[in-house]
Amino acid sequence: MTELTLAELAEQTGVPERTIRYYIARGLLPPPLRAGRAACYGPEHRQALERIRRLQAKGLTLAEIARRLAGEAPRDGLPKPSPWWSYPVAEDVVVWVRADAAPWRLKQVREALLDLAARLRTNQQEDENDLDAGD
Amino acid sequence: MPATEAALGFAPRRAATGEELDLAMQSLWLAGRILPVGAHLVVRHTFRSQEQKPVEVIYSFALPRDAALRRFRVSGEGFSVRSELKPVGEAVRAYEEGLEEGHLATLARTYRDGIVNLTLGNLRPGETVTVLLEILCGVELHDDGLRFRFPFTLAPSYHARARVGEAAPGVGEIELPEDEFGDVILPRWAADASGLHAIGFRLTVEAGAELASVGSPSHAVDVRLENGRRGSVMLARERDVPNRDLVLDVRTREAWSGVLAGLCRQGKGHFAVVIPSPRFGARSEEPRSVVFVLDRSGSMSGAPIAQALKACEACLAALTPGDRFGLIAFDDQVEAFRSHLVECSRENRDGAREFLASVDARGGTELAAGLEAAANMLRGVGGDILLLTDGEVFGTESIIARACAAGIRIHCLGIGSASQDRFLALLARETGGVSRFLTPRERVDRGALELFAAVGRPVARDVTVETDGLPGARIEPEPARQVFSGTPLVIFGRTRGAVRGTLRVGWVNSGERRAMEIPVEIGSDKLGETLRLIRGARLISDWESRTEEPPQGGALDRRRQRRIQERLRRLSETYGLASREMALVAVVERPGDQPGELPKTTVVPVGMPEDVEFDSYFEEQAICFRAQAICERPIGFPSLSAEEAEFLRRFRSRAFQPECRFIDTAREVSLNEMEARVVRRVELALAIEPDGGMPGADDEERALASLLALLCFLAEGSTESSGPYRFHVRRLVSFLENVSLDERQRRIADGVIELARRGGRLPGNWWDLLKQGPSPECWDRIAEGLAKEGERLGDLP
Repeated sequence: MTELTLAELAEQTGVPERTIRYYIARGLLPPPLRAGRAACYGPEHRQALERIRRLQAKGLTLAEIARRLAGEAPRDGLPKPSPWWSYPVAEDVVVWVRADAAPWRLKQVREALLDLAARLRTNQQEDENDLDAGD
Repeated sequence: MPATEAALGFAPRRAATGEELDLAMQSLWLAGRILPVGAHLVVRHTFRSQEQKPVEVIYSFALPRDAALRRFRVSGEGFSVRSELKPVGEAVRAYEEGLEEGHLATLARTYRDGIVNLTLGNLRPGETVTVLLEILCGVELHDDGLRFRFPFTLAPSYHARARVGEAAPGVGEIELPEDEFGDVILPRWAADASGLHAIGFRLTVEAGAELASVGSPSHAVDVRLENGRRGSVMLARERDVPNRDLVLDVRTREAWSGVLAGLCRQGKGHFAVVIPSPRFGARSEEPRSVVFVLDRSGSMSGAPIAQALKACEACLAALTPGDRFGLIAFDDQVEAFRSHLVECSRENRDGAREFLASVDARGGTELAAGLEAAANMLRGVGGDILLLTDGEVFGTESIIARACAAGIRIHCLGIGSASQDRFLALLARETGGVSRFLTPRERVDRGALELFAAVGRPVARDVTVETDGLPGARIEPEPARQVFSGTPLVIFGRTRGAVRGTLRVGWVNSGERRAMEIPVEIGSDKLGETLRLIRGARLISDWESRTEEPPQGGALDRRRQRRIQERLRRLSETYGLASREMALVAVVERPGDQPGELPKTTVVPVGMPEDVEFDSYFEEQAICFRAQAICERPIGFPSLSAEEAEFLRRFRSRAFQPECRFIDTAREVSLNEMEARVVRRVELALAIEPDGGMPGADDEERALASLLALLCFLAEGSTESSGPYRFHVRRLVSFLENVSLDERQRRIADGVIELARRGGRLPGNWWDLLKQGPSPECWDRIAEGLAKEGERLGDLP
């Protein structure tokens, strides 16, 4: 069983001390194992910090993470609506894209759709050419 | 139990809800001295805790332009301790060790984008502590005065990887990715700033030349002139809230050229030379190529985008035949009016206006992409970029680096009540351009046209500065290579001691090499120390703008970054100023400190800038950007808590409500009417054909319409040589001089032209006559007006 000081925990996880204190104050991390000079941190703190980093990488804010860690249950009733773009990339193909994704993600998606639309257009062109040739 | 303010009912409350607020930071007071070349400021932060246990308070603020922290003094009952300057790692360690021991520890650390975290640890229950922080910063110097800006709030800004959300109803939060921004903590943004810490200020202003006016478009101020060249400005109200920057506008009676000089504490000489732009000669009227880059990101929604569009239209109207232009609007996508530069024809200007009419504010601020598109348009052709933006982006160092690599001059017009002045000043300077900023309560067309007049036509190119007879002289930072009309050239330098000598300034104007000599004498003035610090702060922010974190690219980039960091460390040590590499720290041992107690960490909230809609950042489907960086599930529903839903209902339609009103002929004119007048002038300016005349069926009708338009501009206060519409006046005059008219009409036209030269005006409702369609009676009306004015002046034709 290893017990760490705040400085050691910070060094091992790469999360600065001030940030760890901030997380504790916001209820994202449990308080230290003992009060006063003997305060120390255990493996559960390490795991919790790693979990926070993972969720942050997914784009969750600290407030959202706090809610998730508190095990907030999914709410009853009608789910909230979410906006979607619909891109008719070809006459017979429609692609749905979530409109509230991050801008850089939307940009990636748009570029991919441009490619897709171009490819579908050439295919169609070739088909028509084949038809013309077949006449 | 101690009688706390809360118990007595004096605790601050949120105005809207009456809810009690627990403010860890109670007030912020700004004092200092503003000089033409920079300012020396002291900010007093008063912290008090009402918590039951020790707290750690984080106040996050943005630096003004060209600024650096010098030192702070932390004081409380029985102690007053000054900060030490240490490399960031050591400073953080000292802070953490002090905190661990239960001492009062204070750390001031600068992060990217000039954001500072002032962290005060182990503030005891009921204890009051003040931190006096010294800051050196720059000002926006004009030929006829200066503008000073100090951020009382920090604008929430865009970053593609930022995580954004509401922490509580009406309280927004932005978290920046740790791998790029380190452990910086941003403030919380309160939609309702009424219950936040109090702010106030008292500043002295020395402008060099005799002061004509000192005022503030942002705050109600009391101004006292101590003598012709010195004044003091203080907040007229007892207190104000942190929801906008402080802006001071200082105007002088005449352009000031002069030398500020003195000795620093180490006995070295320091000087700053200011040369106003008219000294370099006239501006050429050669055709230019300009690409307008318009920020239409969500943060611009409301008043700022309306201002920017108006500014853009006014500038389009000021283009002259031979000029070529491009027009780009960006959010997280880039859209161009045309893919290439176009001639300034009536058709293209109308097309551009139509394009502008379709622009509204929406997505994120991909500033770099917008600038890149503009640079591509100018590649091989050369020219200038005019950027209209609130500059509300994080990660500005990368944008500056990319803009510099493109090698195109960028001029910035900053818009908004908390625009990123520091960033826009740096972006313009590093690319060789100039910048101006406007606040929401100002006429946008004037500022835009002032800046636009200078774009693309420097009054001086290839500026060189040499010294003669100044032992040990060094010019640093490198002065601007070009000078634009309206903005003076500032030269900073140092010498070995109290010496005298000459600066030789050379430049090219209209293809001709010119030179002037400026005598510099270093006396024993104590100003030398301030000049040294202002110069140091400027050097540090220049180098800070060149750092990137983490270094992109290969080993070469990393080596370059290491060199920049080394340079910053040396600058910090030399000037005794904090930077990204060196932080300020103080640890105070108080009697009875208990080691090991973990303080509760809290973040000081600031107000949303008054013209930025809270929704545009923090609403569930914010127009700026979404909290969600990655869609976790291909199909799903965003989760929204009950408080969030309530918040959305409450804040959905908060709009910017301008407070100020203008009194006009005993009748109140609202801002909207004021705006209508701006629109009218811009419309008029836009109608001018490329040959300088107004449109019409034949020469006579065109001449008459042009005369009426000219009278409208004169009535508005513009003349051939001054006023925001001087270029339009000049073009109308040159058209009227050349158009063919009969003898009587020629006499009338010449009379009005003469009036324009002298800066006179004729009373009359010329706008209405013009709008009704000019009829031949208008000639008589103008002739009558001229006759009356002629009697008064005696000698009109």
